[in-house]
Amino acid sequence: MENKLEEIKKQTVDAVRSAKTADELEDLRVRVLGRKGSLTIILRSLGDLPPETRGTIGKKSNEIKKIIEETLESRLNELNETSLDGLVTSEWIDVTLSSPGATGTAKTGRLHPISQIQYEIEDIFTSMGFEILDGPEAETEYYNFEALNIPKHHPARDMQDTFWTEDGNLLRTHTSPIQVRGMEKMKPPLRIVGPGRVFRYESTDASHENTFYQVEGMMIDRDISVSHLIYVMKELLRRIFKRDVKIRLRPGYFPFVEPGFELDMNCLICGGTGCSVCKQSGWVEVLPCGLVHPAVLRYGNIDPSQWSGFAFGLGLNRLIMMKYGINDIRHFLSGDERFLVQF
Amino acid sequence: MWISLNIISKMVSLDGISPEDIAQRLTMSSAEIECLEYANRHFTTIITAKILDVKPHPNADKLTLVDLSTGSENHRVVCGAPNHKKGDIVPLAMPGTEFSKDFIIKKSKIRGEESSGMLCSEKELGLSDDHSGILIFPEGTPAGKSLAEIFPDSVDVRLEIDNKSITHRPDLWSHMGFAREIAALYGRPFTDVIDRSLESGFKNAESLKVEIMNPEAAPRYSGLVVKNIKIGDSPDWLKAAVTSIGMRPINNIVDITNYVMAEVGEPMHAFDRKKLTGDRIIVRLARQGEPIMTLDGQTFTLTSEDIVIADNDKPIALAGVMGGGNSEIDDSTTEIVLEAATFNPVNIRKTAQRFNQRTEAAMRFEKSLSPELTAAALIRCYDLIKKCIPGAVAVSKILDAYPVKQKTVKIKTDTEFIKKRIGQKISDERITGILKALDFRIEIKGTDLELEVPHYRATKDISIPEDIVEEVGRIYGFDNIAESAPMVPCTPPRRNEFRLFERKVKGILSMHFNMIETSGYSFVGEDFLNRLGINEDRELRLANPLSMEQDRLRRSLVPNAVKSIMVNMRNSDYFKTYEMGRIYIKDDRKSKELTGENTRVCGLVYSRQPDAPLFYEAKEIVCGLIEMISMDDIVMVPESKELPPYAHPGRSMLIKTGGKDAGIISEFHPKTLKSFDIQGRSAFFDIDLNMLFDAEKTDKKFCELQKYPDVPFELSILADRYVHTADIISHVIKTSPEYIKSAEVISIYEGAQIPEGKKSVSIKTVYRASDRTLSPEEIAGLQKKLIESMNRKGFTLR
Ligand SMILES: [Zn+2]
Repeated sequence: MENKLEEIKKQTVDAVRSAKTADELEDLRVRVLGRKGSLTIILRSLGDLPPETRGTIGKKSNEIKKIIEETLESRLNELNETSLDGLVTSEWIDVTLSSPGATGTAKTGRLHPISQIQYEIEDIFTSMGFEILDGPEAETEYYNFEALNIPKHHPARDMQDTFWTEDGNLLRTHTSPIQVRGMEKMKPPLRIVGPGRVFRYESTDASHENTFYQVEGMMIDRDISVSHLIYVMKELLRRIFKRDVKIRLRPGYFPFVEPGFELDMNCLICGGTGCSVCKQSGWVEVLPCGLVHPAVLRYGNIDPSQWSGFAFGLGLNRLIMMKYGINDIRHFLSGDERFLVQF
Repeated sequence: MWISLNIISKMVSLDGISPEDIAQRLTMSSAEIECLEYANRHFTTIITAKILDVKPHPNADKLTLVDLSTGSENHRVVCGAPNHKKGDIVPLAMPGTEFSKDFIIKKSKIRGEESSGMLCSEKELGLSDDHSGILIFPEGTPAGKSLAEIFPDSVDVRLEIDNKSITHRPDLWSHMGFAREIAALYGRPFTDVIDRSLESGFKNAESLKVEIMNPEAAPRYSGLVVKNIKIGDSPDWLKAAVTSIGMRPINNIVDITNYVMAEVGEPMHAFDRKKLTGDRIIVRLARQGEPIMTLDGQTFTLTSEDIVIADNDKPIALAGVMGGGNSEIDDSTTEIVLEAATFNPVNIRKTAQRFNQRTEAAMRFEKSLSPELTAAALIRCYDLIKKCIPGAVAVSKILDAYPVKQKTVKIKTDTEFIKKRIGQKISDERITGILKALDFRIEIKGTDLELEVPHYRATKDISIPEDIVEEVGRIYGFDNIAESAPMVPCTPPRRNEFRLFERKVKGILSMHFNMIETSGYSFVGEDFLNRLGINEDRELRLANPLSMEQDRLRRSLVPNAVKSIMVNMRNSDYFKTYEMGRIYIKDDRKSKELTGENTRVCGLVYSRQPDAPLFYEAKEIVCGLIEMISMDDIVMVPESKELPPYAHPGRSMLIKTGGKDAGIISEFHPKTLKSFDIQGRSAFFDIDLNMLFDAEKTDKKFCELQKYPDVPFELSILADRYVHTADIISHVIKTSPEYIKSAEVISIYEGAQIPEGKKSVSIKTVYRASDRTLSPEEIAGLQKKLIESMNRKGFTLR
């Protein structure tokens, strides 16, 4: 029995030392130490031996087992470290593949592009000390029009075709009602922004939507001026577009501001030379703004002889379209994953 | 609205300024110019030429070779027209003449013969529809003149104004207004075209009187009776001018009234004097139900808010909107009453809207026109009538009812205020200079200004000091104002916790569970609700929907989730999307006047061929969300009955907080999928975000890391098939909550060796104590307790 053990040991050790691949080693291991391996069988049959030899044979078997295991391991290490047939081949995988079988889970999640830009803008304004406010989407006529200095039958109502609801209210046509609610709730000085969904009674096409997003903003303090407004707007655009943007301010009529402006931004798609997005003008209207009309301040219980302010309404869809060169506003509410995963 | 620079140039010199520059300056200071159009620019390269000779074309019967001289040069062209002969003076379009982008005259060979130009017909020149032959000028017309010189009125540049940008400026609905702006912007004098000296020649030979019954509806009504009218075509200059501003020439009187409206800004009308009954023109509110037929042949039934112009026995015009058919001028008209008036803008606006008649007149009246315009407009009209019909004579003074005189508007302000609001140092001289150029009368006392607003801007446009800030700013150029950061205390803003919560939830769903955020419409329609089985007519409806599919406001985000599946299953076999948005609940009013709005989040998992029930995937997301927002008071309970019809009764759980339903996790009912033709399966969750936000959150607290070893114990029991494993687990834990660290299901088995209607559930329970290693006796005791408890509950051990 002892001889048999010695023979297993010698043969195996020699074979291990001359083995060339990890697979060869694995074969050897199975032949000797596997479930039906030659040494395993001996170890299992120890119980059949007479008690007096059982001890020595058992001890010897275990010693040999240990030696073989060590030899196997050291040879495997040698092979791995030195030979071209090492890990490069033994554990090669195709790293250009993706996780096999992982179909759905491979997709990464996304925020809607509107959410992304909205949060970015919220953060910019929060960093400048603006508080974020909310307001109802189904609004009253008072907050959407009257308190913004747009009485009934005012021609300016034409500028905002309105969805009316069965209870005599309306779907807000702009985020400006948030201004009024903000002024009612807070005391000046105040700095607020109100992002949200707005609605226009309008048939949809590539550049018109009945539902879109705005961010309303308002700052009221002592002696707020047009110059301050320009600063905040430029700062906002610089941060959104991550570069200095050229803007121009021209008169624009909105009953809730006086003076009122249209703020145009140099078209980023053509760089100002004229293209279809900017209708060949080199400029894109991005936001109406102005100094808050004293009547609106009064509606908000703020004394216009003591306080002045600016207000603006930024259209988010247009801004994103500009930023990424999107040509159809209807993509935003399409729910189409192929659009949404691009941002 | 179109503005013709030809008309403008009669009031302010445009010498040396390019149309492009005018458009740019106006856009930056007055109104948005949408486009600039050159009319007949090509007339400069179409030259009159004398035909020297006409020879037949050697290779074509119908063509001729024409030799011409412009006086300085000779040209030969090939021509197909039949009517020209030697000695005629004809228009020669030189090579390079651009009729349109696709039609530019080039030197070419026609059937082998050189042709350097084209002879033009009247139609080709846009002068008439005559295409029978080329235009032949009257004898004596000199050769070598450009058509721009021959037809100076046809060559024009026109600007299109964005009407929205002049909503607040009644004065800019006219050429006069724009001429004044240009004069102020370029510092040039403005010339009034109204020749007021004509008024002294008006005879007083007419018994007609005008009368206003409702001064609140019509502040002023003025008329002028003119005899010896001969209706006919307008002269070319007038036709050209009317065409240039976008109208169609009709006849001399109509063209003149249209022209004056565009020039002065006052809508005009002409009645046939002989069609009026009696000697009175009355301005009054209509009687309820009173009919009128307008000159376009339509009949309207009026209300007591509409204003009419009437003679002794009938309405003759729908005031401010359109003239009446019964008093219209026609070819036999010889005597007219010219009308210029001012009406209440609200009445006009309502009338125009009610009858869908936003006419040129109505658009102007609703902007609050100055009543001071009427007499000037009548005089201007008369002036032009005399030019077209020299025999015409005014037989009345200006008939004028002007019960409520326009108030002079005076504004007190000071230059410091103006500078402070603009935020830039502008000299006082510059400020007053701008205001003077804009026709303000100014009294200066130090820095104080007392301003009288010109009447044409005093109706609504300018009334407060802030309006003066705008006037100064826009002429100074807002673009010339430097930016400056406001100097304010650096107090941090209050946090909007709900918004932050929304953002956090979106972040978890998108970033942790890899869902894609979608956004859908707030509207829903009946068909969709029917297919979902939730059409209970409880939605807030729109009074003016755009379509049947969008005629009410959503009470649920589920319809949009279904839409998301329908859109994306075309391109994708597996996706996870969600929407967060408001729903509108009309019967849950948070305040008297407002419909309730709640924010919900609705997510879905879709797979064309799921390996396992998708419910578990949706549930995993919800559980993860709840864990990450540290919600405390929340339970999820299986439900098979109280479910929306689109939910799968065998695969649904309700989410409850504070004992109230806060949402659902479910799979779509197969019949719902079928009704939308959806292949594959989809699970969804739909949760009230406000309730999640309001629910109590656990404060995070450190727990000592476990020091003593776990003792696992596995057992398998038999349970009824429909028993929820969550209930079994909770029984397990209840046996020794203080020592059980965890209990979980390792496997469930049904089939061979298990009785029908039963399942085998293997549970792994882990015991431990926080302060010691459990002794073998303790462990045996805990295990025994568990086994006994299971037996008592009727779960037999396997
Ligand atoms: Zn561009």
